[in-house]
Amino acid sequence: MTGAKYCRSKKIDSAWPFELTRIQWLWANMKGLRWLYVIAMIGTVCYNALQLTVPYFSSKLVDQYLSGENAAYNLANNRNGFYTLIVLMVGLTLIRCVLVYFDCMAYEKVSQGVLFKVRNYLYDKIQRQDMKFYSTYRTGDLMTRVTGDLDAVRHMLAWVVRMVVEAFSLLGATAIYYFYMDWKLALCLLSIAPFIFLIIYMFKVRVAPLHALLREKLAYMNTVAQENISGNRVVKAFAREDYEIEKFDECNTDYRETNIKTANTWLTFYPYVETLANILPVVLLLVGGLFLIHGNITMGEYVAFSGLTWAIANPMRQLGNIMNEFQRFSAASKKVMEIYYSEPEIKDAQNAIPHSERFEGLIEFKDVSFQYSDGKLPVLKHVSFTANPGETIAIMGETGCGKTSLIHLIPRFYEPTDGEVLIDNINVNKYRIKDLRSNIGLATQDVLLYSDTIDGNIAYGDGTLTKEEVVRFARSSAADEFIAKMPEGYETIVGERGVGLSGGQKQRISLARALAVKPAILILDDTTSAVDLETEKEIQHSLSELPFTCTKIIIAQRISTTKSADKILIMNNGEITEQGTHEELIKKGGYYAEMVRLQNGEA
Amino acid sequence: MARNTYKEDELLEEPFDFRHLLRASVYIKKHSGQMILALVLSALGGAAALVSPMLVERALDDAIPSKDVRLLVLLVVELVLFYAVSVIFTTIRSRIMVNVSQNIIYDIRTDIFEHLQRLPFQYYDDRPHGKILIRVVNYVNSVSDMLSNGLINIVLEILNLIFIVIFMFIVDVKLSLVVMAGVPILMVFMFWIKNKQRKAWQQVSNKNSNLNAYLQENIVGARITQIFAREDENAEIFEGLSALCRRTWMRAVSYSTLVWPGIDTISVCVRAAIFITGIVIFGQGNTSLGIIVAISSYASRFWQPIMNLGNIFNNFINNIAYLERIFETIDEPVEVTDAPDAYEIPPITGKVDFENVTFSYEKGKEILHNVSFSVNPGESIALVGPTGAGKSTIVSLISRFYNLDSGRILIDGHDISRVTLKSLRSQMGIMLQDSFIFSGTIEDNIRYGKLNATEEEIIKASTTVCADEFINGMSDGYKTEVKERGSLLSQGQKQLISFARTLLSDPAILVLDEATSSIDVQTERALQKGLNNMLQGRTSFVIAHRLSTIIGCDKIMYIDDGGIAECGTHDQLMAQKGLYYKLYTAQIEDIN
Repeated sequence: MTGAKYCRSKKIDSAWPFELTRIQWLWANMKGLRWLYVIAMIGTVCYNALQLTVPYFSSKLVDQYLSGENAAYNLANNRNGFYTLIVLMVGLTLIRCVLVYFDCMAYEKVSQGVLFKVRNYLYDKIQRQDMKFYSTYRTGDLMTRVTGDLDAVRHMLAWVVRMVVEAFSLLGATAIYYFYMDWKLALCLLSIAPFIFLIIYMFKVRVAPLHALLREKLAYMNTVAQENISGNRVVKAFAREDYEIEKFDECNTDYRETNIKTANTWLTFYPYVETLANILPVVLLLVGGLFLIHGNITMGEYVAFSGLTWAIANPMRQLGNIMNEFQRFSAASKKVMEIYYSEPEIKDAQNAIPHSERFEGLIEFKDVSFQYSDGKLPVLKHVSFTANPGETIAIMGETGCGKTSLIHLIPRFYEPTDGEVLIDNINVNKYRIKDLRSNIGLATQDVLLYSDTIDGNIAYGDGTLTKEEVVRFARSSAADEFIAKMPEGYETIVGERGVGLSGGQKQRISLARALAVKPAILILDDTTSAVDLETEKEIQHSLSELPFTCTKIIIAQRISTTKSADKILIMNNGEITEQGTHEELIKKGGYYAEMVRLQNGEA
Repeated sequence: MARNTYKEDELLEEPFDFRHLLRASVYIKKHSGQMILALVLSALGGAAALVSPMLVERALDDAIPSKDVRLLVLLVVELVLFYAVSVIFTTIRSRIMVNVSQNIIYDIRTDIFEHLQRLPFQYYDDRPHGKILIRVVNYVNSVSDMLSNGLINIVLEILNLIFIVIFMFIVDVKLSLVVMAGVPILMVFMFWIKNKQRKAWQQVSNKNSNLNAYLQENIVGARITQIFAREDENAEIFEGLSALCRRTWMRAVSYSTLVWPGIDTISVCVRAAIFITGIVIFGQGNTSLGIIVAISSYASRFWQPIMNLGNIFNNFINNIAYLERIFETIDEPVEVTDAPDAYEIPPITGKVDFENVTFSYEKGKEILHNVSFSVNPGESIALVGPTGAGKSTIVSLISRFYNLDSGRILIDGHDISRVTLKSLRSQMGIMLQDSFIFSGTIEDNIRYGKLNATEEEIIKASTTVCADEFINGMSDGYKTEVKERGSLLSQGQKQLISFARTLLSDPAILVLDEATSSIDVQTERALQKGLNNMLQGRTSFVIAHRLSTIIGCDKIMYIDDGGIAECGTHDQLMAQKGLYYKLYTAQIEDIN
């Protein structure tokens, strides 16, 4: 499991895959906040303009009242003018400070608004994806996109744009002022700008792929850490801590190196940018000095020019930084947009029929074949069977024979490659997914509980469930007894994936959770495999006495579970090889009869 | 500590102090040489840049009035040289600091990750995994700049400030005091805002952590969400968490944004005060104009570093909330750890003794009470009994995943609390109920049991556990890529893979905790045959409910009520007509 394998950068497509460009996409998500954003940008121009005027007043103060030729006279006779200037200096600064504050807050408000909107949208998008999506993206990768990558988008709105506006408004205002004073000298000074733009452009070309790489490395590191945390039991069981540390060290190192490389790319361009920015005062001194000597400009004009060189040099210096941040945004936003625009293959049909009443529970498989898109072999081959409302169907077969794949077609986790799955005589792909799934209670094999109270876990499918009902369904799945024994009973918080509970306990909570939605179709995927026999008997009993009717499809390994089923399906290699009741199949003398013999302990 | 969920903030009771920064100095010390070099370069670069105004002044005062073009050109050349020096120094400094800051991130991240490897299950069980993850990845990223460039800039600005203050006092004490008069106001302002800010940023980190926790759980549990058609409700919860993130963020920045304009305002007021006091109050006779000009220029120089310091300080406050969380994790005590005089346990033959073992996960709630038993090398022991009776607990104690309340566990006569964990656990093969699959190829997942295993060994182990056939049927055979939540593998297949993984590690003691529950009976039988050879000479503990799995074991222990209720061979226990008898006959009856 070497890092290098995951770290290879994907081929970067030259064609932009989305309908909107990044900026258009941002703009689209700014709906409702666009005016505020425009006002914020205008605000930035204003406070920068103020920043240019305040020094003017303070220098005038010095000139007129302190160091100038008439200072003593002015001070003695024009106190009002003096105070006016002071008030102007303080007042304008105060106005600028207030403006800066509210302007920054406006940027924050807009960027947080967009972040809020996009984050929620992404979350919803992710949770509605089909299983194919989930086998494409790793958890750590998805997490990175919703957190780190999205934060780069926020940063763009909150900071990068403000800096761009600031740089250009300073540059623009100063340029206009310069041209107004002396266009020749102004031209000399501003001739530096194209060179800076050229360098920044070259920098952009070099740094863009690095930022894309950096996002990949971050996602990979997130994945390794995430899997290490989730798989901590396996790590400890194999005493593989050192190996894990090594594995993490590899991506940590990789991430560090890429970061250094990215930063150093900027630093190879930085000296040129900085030199160009520093050339400004030099050119001013040389050309301005010559102009002065030749009497082309006055001393006052020279001082005005020199007093504003920072307003040109600083934005130029900033441009590199801004470009760097912009490239970060570019790389990150592409990853965000990939999720934003991803569409699940399994979604409501356009002409889906709303179906709010409860299903009858008639399930029909008509010549269904199925193959995973990333698999080589068909998983189900021409499967046909019918489950009548209220019936119990048991499915048995070897590991990997397709049992779980079969039941996953009912809630439309996957679409059959051939044939039809019908519920109440309507193809499942004609229902709205929400209607379909809310009629199905499924307890999966791999029990996944949430870090929440046991009560919250059982009521997961139906938040309106009363305490009594929760207890009742816990009782139905033989979970009430052990829950009641826990220190805080139903209020006990179970850890993620239900750790802290034994396998059998988790399965029983998961069963209670499935029962609690009172489904028309109940699917149990080997849900009692880790439950002891006596408890299982109890569960079987309560399943036959549920307070609502439902069709049950039960995958099981134990004869004790399958025995009382209305129909038993034996699967082998994706096909149904035997079908019938317990007695019929024993008589038939096939796989099932062998199972019965085996489980009776007759080895 | 009670378990944490996405709904609750993690409390942090420590008061704010700069202790966390001192703590962080461990990471900085390593790079102190480089950092001092960077500091010196910055200072020199800064000094070189300071010369430039002097050159410009000379040009304006001497060269231009005397129309001396040669002198002007000479001064320009000098100016270029000083700028060049400044640029070169700054570039080198930046290069050094890039390395330093990236190394600091790397070191902190390595430490937090390594420490996480040492933390017990309990730590992972007690909080959503997303909250752990965010510390390792996101928080560490946030603090690096503060610990590298932040520190250097602080030193530079403080030095700058000290020089300016000294110069100011040399020029005029009275006016300097006017300049400094703003300082107490600033102090009050900063103290007020510091407390507000720290709390606000802690809230941000809490809310982000909650959001991350919820996000991670729901990505992992997407299938559950979908089957229960809970998307709308989840979206609402997420939106709620998201809104809290936004609200706390806005609150925090509403303080942070205040710092810079706040200092700016104080600074301009001070300058106004100088003008007024200098001219009006002290009167022109007492104070020379030059001094006022000088002081007013120093005043602006005095406030510039203070404003910069304010910004750095701001950054510190924001990031200390993250640093606190990082250190909290690194400081999390490890209960199960090597004894100071721990030794490596020699190759295990497989004798296991429990001597009066009492154990509880939480104080006062004993899971096992005074359990004693002895297992001989090579024996296979089946543990049966009701769910939650403590079967899994017993086997996890053998690997010392938890410390005992009292009693001892001996392996080959070595008390397991006295040997190194690594030497102990690497000789144990544990197959858990939860068969976790890492993303990677199937081969990689099996190889996890023995990192240097050859391909033949991997295939052999897979064949033994009957996994070879289905693996070969997959698109790329052993090289098929599987994901952590991969759909390609059924639960039974995952169990077979983790079985092969365990087998490959060639353990002296094998623990199978419901390891075959999702494997069908027939495959299990085939598997058992292959295993029987393998199991020769290995002590094994098997937890299972399926009788066919249990019957073949040398000894069966019925666990109930925190102890061993019955113990013996299948025939002995059947003859005893006790709990096991009841369990067995119940199943047989059920089938017939």
